[in-house]
Amino acid sequence: MATRALLAVISASPNRRFISSSSIRIQSSLSSFSRLNFQRHSRKIHRTAGSYSSDKESSVLPPPDVSRLAETARISLTPGEIEECETKIRRVIDWFGQLQQVDVNSVEPAIRADMDGGNLRDDSPETFENRDSIRASIPSFEEAYLKVPKILNKE
Amino acid sequence: MSTTLLRTIQLNQFSLLGTALIRRRSNNVSVRCCGSQTATTHEAKQTPPSRVAPKNHKSNKLDEILRDYEAVIGIETHVQLSTLTKAFCSCSNNYGSYPNTSICPVCMGLPGALPVLNSKVVEFGVRLGLALNCELSLKSKFDRKQYFYPDLPKGYQISQFDIPIASGGYVDLDIPLEFGGGHRRFGITRVHMEEDAGKSLHSDTEDYSQVDLNRAGVPLLEIVSEPDMRSGVEAAEYACEMQRIARYLGVSNGNMQEGSLRCDVNISIRPIGQAEFGTKVEIKNLNAFSAMSRAIDFEISRQALLYDQGKADQIVTETRLWDEGAQKTVTMRKKEGLADYRYFPEPDLPEVILTQEYVDSIRASLPELPEAKRRRYEAMGLGMQDVLFLANDVSVAEYFDAVIGKGAEVKLAANWIMGDIAAYLKNEKLSINDMKLTTQELAELIAAIKDGTISGKIGKEILFELLAKGGTVKGMIKEKDLVQITDPAEIEKMVIKVVSENQKQLEQYRSGKTKLQGYFAGQVMKMSKGKANPGLLNKILLEKLNAKD
Repeated sequence: MATRALLAVISASPNRRFISSSSIRIQSSLSSFSRLNFQRHSRKIHRTAGSYSSDKESSVLPPPDVSRLAETARISLTPGEIEECETKIRRVIDWFGQLQQVDVNSVEPAIRADMDGGNLRDDSPETFENRDSIRASIPSFEEAYLKVPKILNKE
Repeated sequence: MSTTLLRTIQLNQFSLLGTALIRRRSNNVSVRCCGSQTATTHEAKQTPPSRVAPKNHKSNKLDEILRDYEAVIGIETHVQLSTLTKAFCSCSNNYGSYPNTSICPVCMGLPGALPVLNSKVVEFGVRLGLALNCELSLKSKFDRKQYFYPDLPKGYQISQFDIPIASGGYVDLDIPLEFGGGHRRFGITRVHMEEDAGKSLHSDTEDYSQVDLNRAGVPLLEIVSEPDMRSGVEAAEYACEMQRIARYLGVSNGNMQEGSLRCDVNISIRPIGQAEFGTKVEIKNLNAFSAMSRAIDFEISRQALLYDQGKADQIVTETRLWDEGAQKTVTMRKKEGLADYRYFPEPDLPEVILTQEYVDSIRASLPELPEAKRRRYEAMGLGMQDVLFLANDVSVAEYFDAVIGKGAEVKLAANWIMGDIAAYLKNEKLSINDMKLTTQELAELIAAIKDGTISGKIGKEILFELLAKGGTVKGMIKEKDLVQITDPAEIEKMVIKVVSENQKQLEQYRSGKTKLQGYFAGQVMKMSKGKANPGLLNKILLEKLNAKD
């Protein structure tokens, strides 16, 4: 669960899309929804798999598929940029690999890093004053609607 | 067609009743909230023969298929919540507003804006979870479901992935009698909170679409069922029950035509006896409960045919759309592989924490749910037909409960509501709450007929007056002098008079035409302005007619 906490922190940083995508790819590949158990499950898998990286203690997570990451993030990269990114992203993934090595079997899983929940809002309507400037800032706003390319299929 | 879905009393197939004066016969009433395809014998008599034959033919074919194959059906339901504001910002949650007016930086996904959860959404989530007999997660969280689409401003939808607010529940329901009746229990896998996307209008002619973001950020509860349904009928009734529960709880108006209740069906078939599930197909674009049923029937036939032809491998995991015009499912463009939503915990929102006290207080405030009502009505001695009708619409059930609460006899109250009152509401296109006849007056009317103050026929007349203009039973009886005549002496006087004025008919009667008794009775009734007690009238009349002069 510490992994999750770190994820939440890291995700706040500008590069978060790459980092989160690759790490969560592991989670999302376990297709069944099974509460918190899959966290432990994935940790077990990685603990038994051995793998080596030259600059870190050990990395048991697969290397990033940067071109696929770029595709899912809808960011175009040149081959040179892909190579450059690959090294950087891989380093971050390796840090996660280290985290996953930690034995947390005796630690109660936490859903999130923050301790207090709450921060709920009353169900009372408030009109945002400056809607005109929101609409004005949309380049393709026409006749009350946002005009967009016609895409019928979601992904 | 969409009007058949509105859950007001008038839309429960009352066209079958014909005129309101016909006493309600038990088989006529379809109690499915959407029943547009009933096959009662009464309907068969009223519809032209050409419409009956194809339907029977189709259902026979389906029965044949279901002897060899088992359909496994699961349903995902999205319920749009009737909160005043959106899920994560204070914009108004209003259906039908002018496009792109209920917007702000949060729901538009503008940089720097942060979501803040609406407390009502949690409350509705707990209510629905409890109503579906789920276990609540006292701690749950939000996740980002990431994909790109023009109506999704942030590029991700805030949803709940692995720790939903409720899970592991079930729903009990009754299959309508015209589809065989019977009790069913279907499992509920999970209920979770999420936000809706905007609305896209695709132009047929041009190469662009138009997006309205009023709906972006509106709160939804997604209900995922276990794959427990086995037929179109069961699936449609499950969806009806979801609508019923949502309306009973007051968490949503559950209008499919408005989009506040959306159902997607997942269906596969397998040869009977096979343990593994077949390939699952998703069906979208279902705008009515009846469409769900028909789409499922079609899909079962389509898949069974492929199996029969040895082409089972042509059934692929895909999303198909229901084409209402052509009455068949069609492939959407096939997706390459499963979507990768890159779920991760929503960093901008804290955990959702429920205390046991909070949950208990909500549980205590739940209204009587449809299932409990149905069982209670059954225990009161009402037949299933009546039970399903009365419990279908929460306003009708409340009205009925109020009337019997004021002392009216259960069966009589049920008959009036399901018969003349329902027909009136249908004609006038009113809901029972808009009716001028109050529960108090109906209770009094029933009591007045029961204790003999007025006759049943007079009662009906009073009913129509009260429905149209309001007023009180007592007032009307007094005003129109409608009290039933039960004094035998008075009736005897009238009988003697009528008999003496109709000597010819008397002779005909005495020479064998006993049916003329009805004629005499009619004359006495006319003379008494309908107030003579029919039982007494006929008794005395018979005596006089059969007496030797």
